[in-house]
Amino acid sequence: MSDSHHEESFWRKYIFSTDHKTIGIQYGITALLFLFFGFSLMMVMRWQLAFPDQAVPVIGGLIQWLAELNGFASIGNLPSDLYNVFGAMHGTIMIFLGVVPLVVGAFGNYVVPLQIGAPDMAFPKLNMTSYWVYFIGGVIMLVSFFLPGGAANSGWTSYPPLSVIATTGQTFWLLGMVFLITSSLLGSINIIVTIIQLRAPGLTWMRLPFFVWAQFVTSFLLVLAFPPLEAAGFFQLMDRVFDTSFFLPSGLVVGGEALDVSGGGSPLLWQHLFWFLAHPEVYVLILPGMGVIAEIIANNTRKPIWGYKSLVYSVVFLGFMSFIVWAHHMFMTGMGQGMSIFFQTTTMIISVPSVIILSCFMLSLWGGSIRFNTPMLFALGWIPMFGIGGLTGLPLGLSTLDIHLHDTYYVIGHFHYVVAPGTIFAIFAGIYYWFPKMTGKMLDETLGKIHFFFSFIFMNGIFWPMLIQGMAGVSRRLADGGESYAHAQGTLHLNEFMSYSAWLLAIAQIPFIINLIRTLLRKKAAEPDPNPWRATTIEWTDTTSPPMGHGNFEKVPTVYRGPYEYSVPGDSSDFTPQTSKLIKDR
Amino acid sequence: MSVKDMTHHIANYRKIFVFLLIGTALTVTASYMEFNVQNSIAGAVFVGLTIAAIKGYLVAANFMHLNSEKKIIHWILLLTVFFLSLLLFIPLLWDLNLMSHY
Amino acid sequence: MEIPYNVQVREDTGLYNSKLGIWLFLASEVMLFGGLFSAYILLRTGAPVWPPIGEHGSIMHILKETIPHATFNTVVLIASSVTMVMAWVSLKMKDLRKFRIYLGTTLLCALVFLIVKYFEYSHKIHEGFVPSHDTYMALYFTLTGLHGLHIIGGMIVLGYFFGPGIKMWNNEPERFTNRIEIVGLYWHFVDLVWIFLFPILYLLN
Repeated sequence: MSDSHHEESFWRKYIFSTDHKTIGIQYGITALLFLFFGFSLMMVMRWQLAFPDQAVPVIGGLIQWLAELNGFASIGNLPSDLYNVFGAMHGTIMIFLGVVPLVVGAFGNYVVPLQIGAPDMAFPKLNMTSYWVYFIGGVIMLVSFFLPGGAANSGWTSYPPLSVIATTGQTFWLLGMVFLITSSLLGSINIIVTIIQLRAPGLTWMRLPFFVWAQFVTSFLLVLAFPPLEAAGFFQLMDRVFDTSFFLPSGLVVGGEALDVSGGGSPLLWQHLFWFLAHPEVYVLILPGMGVIAEIIANNTRKPIWGYKSLVYSVVFLGFMSFIVWAHHMFMTGMGQGMSIFFQTTTMIISVPSVIILSCFMLSLWGGSIRFNTPMLFALGWIPMFGIGGLTGLPLGLSTLDIHLHDTYYVIGHFHYVVAPGTIFAIFAGIYYWFPKMTGKMLDETLGKIHFFFSFIFMNGIFWPMLIQGMAGVSRRLADGGESYAHAQGTLHLNEFMSYSAWLLAIAQIPFIINLIRTLLRKKAAEPDPNPWRATTIEWTDTTSPPMGHGNFEKVPTVYRGPYEYSVPGDSSDFTPQTSKLIKDR
Repeated sequence: MSVKDMTHHIANYRKIFVFLLIGTALTVTASYMEFNVQNSIAGAVFVGLTIAAIKGYLVAANFMHLNSEKKIIHWILLLTVFFLSLLLFIPLLWDLNLMSHY
Repeated sequence: MEIPYNVQVREDTGLYNSKLGIWLFLASEVMLFGGLFSAYILLRTGAPVWPPIGEHGSIMHILKETIPHATFNTVVLIASSVTMVMAWVSLKMKDLRKFRIYLGTTLLCALVFLIVKYFEYSHKIHEGFVPSHDTYMALYFTLTGLHGLHIIGGMIVLGYFFGPGIKMWNNEPERFTNRIEIVGLYWHFVDLVWIFLFPILYLLN
């Protein structure tokens, strides 16, 4: 029952589409490209850390060209000025151009309407606008690499006063962020309205797949936490372009000269507004991933997820708490004891729902008929990796320990454990899982297993030693990797090891890329199996692979059951779709 | 909505308009008054913001029909106002905490 | 398949889609202006003197001169809120002519507001009170500037509904009425922000 009153032009169908599936794929491809680019930046940085001031092999000429374009001297090595650019942009690109657009823009857009039985998102044109605004933000960020002075170089955290006196790239960063934040806001409003308003008949709140709950909470975080950063962005733009002093304190001296500004501003103001977003932002990074893991574990243990209610309450509580912990990023700014105790306490409290969620996932494995396919391997690998990420966060949340660990490689190790073998594993799991729904073709299992196995090893090779270096006191954001510091000497040798792990991790992605290309080029079966994983949720049970255009479903599905009815006693099959009538009513 | 309901609404809007004008006049007058409290500015701030809050409530409740709006909207706004208070007051408490003798 | 609840309400929430959407958007706007106001609070409490004294002295006496203008602007904006809701009421009563009058008046009020603002800005700038002069001026221009941008944005949408967008009334009057309700909510919010900005920036010094 599709409206075929006009054939859509190429532009309307593939470029300016308002169909959530097309937009989801657009987000997915763009975000994966940005992820690859951000990863490449890091690989060059790791060369400098392992072999300081030596010319980068293969692409040394390119690095030299870029450095000189930015006004830095280079013999093919990565000079420290450019190292700072790469560092700031690696973080910015991975978070705002890579992970979030992927987990929210791609997975959220593609899967949520299907999982709730909706024909599309609530506001399709707004959805299209969100994507293109993200695209523009990305272009602005990329273009900034070619400016004199290079792209932003004051860390992804852009602390003033440094960021205010930094080169032009920082202004582009701020402008890019305004676009990215706008895109995020429009997209998350769309998701919230879609989930609240467009659930199919019978799909009550406590029958939602956990993936949908995770997206719902994530979108609330984005709607309420991003705007203060947008405000801060405007303030920093004013400071940079109109010489105001929102963030510049009185009496600031730069290069021996007093800065000719009014003063009276507060660098801490930026930190408050920035972290007010940036803490919830890290939950934005992980929550959709947790949703993916839940779907895959239920599906591949052939039993319901353990503790569905606990999961839902935990994720809602987690979302709420995420707004009240931000100053644990600011323990070293000279806050009073009262503040310190408050934020330390809330930070300890917020670890509880995370542990509950992780425990529910682990308990779900008990007694399951586990299928060790590629999505499940990534999900199983995610569990201990996120566990390490979470556990290493605890010392950072205690203000006394943070005195020693703040701004060291321990922090970098902690958060990379959560986002790299954390979120990125969840992303891979989701890609392997939903690829057959999007294309009608399964990715190759052997290549998938190779991809998983080596990614798992090398992720640990990169990030575990960071925890060791951090505990030895090696600071982050040092272009020489700690070489000039006496206390770092004992752990310097780890730099080379981590760099090799990084480059080997890159090589480990090759089976994945080959898999994607080969499978995409392969001819689809005449009538692809719409439910190869034999899953219970609506996207698998009530529509084709790929889902039919303009509406997804032949008719509006009706939901009779919860999302994870696997191995229901009395049923002939080991999975019972959500839209399957109760046995007594059949 | 019937014509009768609408006429009632229109009368209400006119009433609220008058209240808002009065509120505006009050705010301006109050700003010129000296307050017999220790910290005159604090008094002025309190009065000014209270009147603004009342005016804001009148606009939200009547023009934006927030009074008769559905529960889910109320919950969303309650959540927002809670986080807004955090944003407004924690940095302030922070500074005040610093100004003490720790 | 059509997207449901675009016009008719969903039973369990009692809302149509764009009503929920605009309130979520307004929630994010509350947080945006909240961030701006929190900056005001932090910078003011940290300042020994408010407004601060800069190169050209203090803005105080010029500020006092502009209180009548700002008061006038406050009244104008409140009036525009009334005409905005009356525009929606006119559509509910199926009176397209009245709708255009009220919507036109709303647009006119907005224009007057911006013109007065323009004169205020140029007077201050002419006297040397630019954003870089001191933190009060920085806050003044940034907060009223962003508010002004929101007015301009609103005017563009209202202008669209006054002009080419009005055609929807012929085919889908209920959907058009909803759209006016939605843009009205946005407009009232912009008025609401000014209701707080006015005393904070002009009166509490």
